[in-house]
Amino acid sequence: MQTIHTKLTRHLASSSGKFLVRFGAIRHHGGPSIPSNAPTIQFTFVNPHPSQAKKGEPLEKLTVEARIGETLLQTAHRNNVDLEGACEGVCACSTCHLIFQNDVFDTLSDPSEDEEDMLDMAFGLTATSRLGCQVKVTQDMEGMEVRLPAATRNFYVDGHVPQPH
Amino acid sequence: MSSFVRIGSTILRHARYLNQRSSRCTYHTSSPLSKPDLSVAIVGSGPSGCYTAKYLILTLEQLQQKGQLTNANMDDLKNVNIDILEKLPTPFGLVRSGVAPDHPEVKNVENDFSLLFQGNHENQKQSATVTQTHTKSKTEKLIQKSIVFRGNVAVGKDISLQELQSLYDVVVLAYGCESNRKLGLEGESLDGVFSAREFVAWYNGHPEFAHMGSYFKQALGNNPSQANVVVIGQGNVALDCARILAKGSQGLMSTDIASHALEIIQDGVEKTTVLGRRGHVQGAFTIKELRELTKLQDASFIVDEAELDAGTTAASLEELNGPGSRPKIRIDKLLRKAAAKTSPEEEKSKQVRLRFLLNPVQFIPDSAVKSRLGSVLCERTRLEGELGNQVAVGTGEMEEITANMALVSIGYKGLQLPGMNDALFDEKTGVVRNTNGKVHSKSNLYASGWLKRGPSGIIGTNISDAKDTVSSIVNDLRDIAESKVDGRVGLDSLLSERNIQVIDWESYQRIDAAEKDTSRLRSDGQPREKFTNVDEMLNYK
Repeated sequence: MQTIHTKLTRHLASSSGKFLVRFGAIRHHGGPSIPSNAPTIQFTFVNPHPSQAKKGEPLEKLTVEARIGETLLQTAHRNNVDLEGACEGVCACSTCHLIFQNDVFDTLSDPSEDEEDMLDMAFGLTATSRLGCQVKVTQDMEGMEVRLPAATRNFYVDGHVPQPH
Repeated sequence: MSSFVRIGSTILRHARYLNQRSSRCTYHTSSPLSKPDLSVAIVGSGPSGCYTAKYLILTLEQLQQKGQLTNANMDDLKNVNIDILEKLPTPFGLVRSGVAPDHPEVKNVENDFSLLFQGNHENQKQSATVTQTHTKSKTEKLIQKSIVFRGNVAVGKDISLQELQSLYDVVVLAYGCESNRKLGLEGESLDGVFSAREFVAWYNGHPEFAHMGSYFKQALGNNPSQANVVVIGQGNVALDCARILAKGSQGLMSTDIASHALEIIQDGVEKTTVLGRRGHVQGAFTIKELRELTKLQDASFIVDEAELDAGTTAASLEELNGPGSRPKIRIDKLLRKAAAKTSPEEEKSKQVRLRFLLNPVQFIPDSAVKSRLGSVLCERTRLEGELGNQVAVGTGEMEEITANMALVSIGYKGLQLPGMNDALFDEKTGVVRNTNGKVHSKSNLYASGWLKRGPSGIIGTNISDAKDTVSSIVNDLRDIAESKVDGRVGLDSLLSERNIQVIDWESYQRIDAAEKDTSRLRSDGQPREKFTNVDEMLNYK
C-alpha cells in the first residue's frame, strides 16, 4: 500500500496536471502537490501604491513562507493573498499575472508558448511579467519582492477617494 | 396579558419566516432570526454578477478589517444578503453558453463562482491583512453573509425592475448582452444568414436556441462536408465558429457541445472563410485562438501574404511597433509564418481561410432557391486614417464568395430591460448609462459587466469591472440609514404568489449531476450532456 501511495503522490507531484486533490482542499489547482514539510523560503508580495493614497503611507507588503516547488499562485492562495486564479492555474487565463524584479526575472526559466499567449491578454503587462501559476518557487527567490499589477488592486479599500455624483 | 400577545405574535412571525425560508432555500451563515442589514439583488449570474457578489463581500470585509467603515450606519453592517437572480435555471451566463466546448479549462472559473453559493466563501482565500502591525484575527468574521441563487426568474417578466428596486437596498444589473449588432445589408434576412451569437448559443445547448437546429441544417445541407461558410468579423467569437465548423464531430466528441449540434455539423464543413473589413493588425482576435486554427488536424489554415502586406500601412506599422503592441507583433509573426507555408497545407480535407480588407456589401440569394443565401458580395478595402484609427475605405474592386451559411460576428449588444426607464439606456451602444457602475439616476440601481461597459474583454476583465461597481455601491452605503426593505423574504413570497418555479442552488446541483450522469453521455470523457429544454430542468426542482 505504501508503494502505491508513494507512486501516486510522486505522479501528482511531478505532473502539472489539471487536477490536484488535497484532503480538505476546496479548490483544484494546476501545479504540483508539495507536502507541508517541504523546504521553504521567504519572499514578499507587493501591491502597487494606489495613486490616491496618502503620502508617507507604506507600500503594502506581505512576507510569506513559500514551499520550494509549488507555483507562486499556490503560495499566494495558501497565504490568503488577493490574487485571482480564474482558470485554477492551468494557463488558460491571465488573472494570476505577477511582476518580478529584473534580476529575479532573468533567472526564471523561459515561459512556454502557451504562457506567452496568455500573457498577451494580461492587463498592465510589463517586460518582467509572468503568470503565477506557471512559475515555481526556487531557492533563488529567497527575499525577492513580487508585485501584483495595478488592475488587481481593490482601489476602494486602499484609499480611493469617491467622486461625488 | 398584552406582553404575552406581543411575544406570541413575534413567535408566530418568526415561525412563518422560518417556514418560508426552509421550504426551498439553502441558508448558511446568517442567523435565520436576524433581518439583514443590507439586501442586494444581482440580475444575472454570469461572470459580472458573480464577481460583483464576490467583491462586494470581500470589500466590506476588508474595510471592516482596516477599521474603515467609519460611518455609524456602516459600523452596524453585520448581515448582508445577496440574491442572484437568473433567467435560466442554470447559472454562469456565457461561461456555460458562450465559452467554446473545446475550451473546458476556461470553465474552471465556475468552481470559484460555485463557492459563493456553497457558503464556503469564508473558507477560501481572504485578502491579506495589510500591515504587519495589524493584529485582528483572520477568523473573526465581522460580516455575516448569505448568497443565494434564484434561477428561472426573469426580471422584467416574472418580477418587474421596479418591484425589485423596492424590495432591495441595492440592485445590480449584470445581465449582459442578449442581442447583437447587425450589418444592415440587403439580403441579411435570407435563410442561411445568422448571427454568430445564435450559432454559438445553439451549439452550446442554450435552451432559447435549441429550436434553431432545423435552420442550420437547412443551410448546411445533408452533407455539410461540402458546404461553404462565411464568418464575418475578426474577434474570438468568429474564430470559435470557424474552429468548431472545421473540427466537426470527430474533434468534438469528448466535449460538452450539445449533441443536437453534432448531428447537424457532422464531420464539419469543407470551406470556412473568416473575413473582416480591416487588416490583421486591427483584428480583435487573440493569439491563443489564432494559434489553435493553425494547428487543426483535419483542416488547413490559409492566409494570403498579399492581404497581410496590404494591411501593413505606415499607420498600422506604427500600431504594430507602438506601446502595448506585444500581442499584435506576435500575431503578425504567426500570420506571416502561416502565409509563407507551401501548398501541402491545402491538401487537408477542410480549409479555414482568414481574409482581410474585405467588406461585405450584400447577401446574394441562391440562383435556384431565391429565399436562401447563395453568396456574399464583398468589396476590397484599403486602410486610411491615423494611427490607432485606421478605417476601411472601399476600392470598388468586388469579390463574390460562395456561401451556404453566413455567420455575422460583429459584436454582441445589450438590450433594455422591459420596464427600464428609456433615459437610462443607450439604444445605440446597448449599454445602461452609468458612471463607475452607478446607473444615472437617483436610485439604488447599478450595473456590472457587458451591460455596463459594452461587449468587450474576457472573463477576467470583469474582476476590475466588478471592483469598480462595488466601489460605487459601498460609497453609497453611507447614505442608507437603515435597511427597510423586505429583501429575500419579499422576493420569495412574491415569486411564490405568482407560482414561479424557482430553481435554487440545491435544485441546480441536481440538474448539474443529472447532466453529468453517464447514462446521458455519448462518449467517455464527455463532461456533460446539457439539458436544452427548461421543462426538463424543472423536473429537478
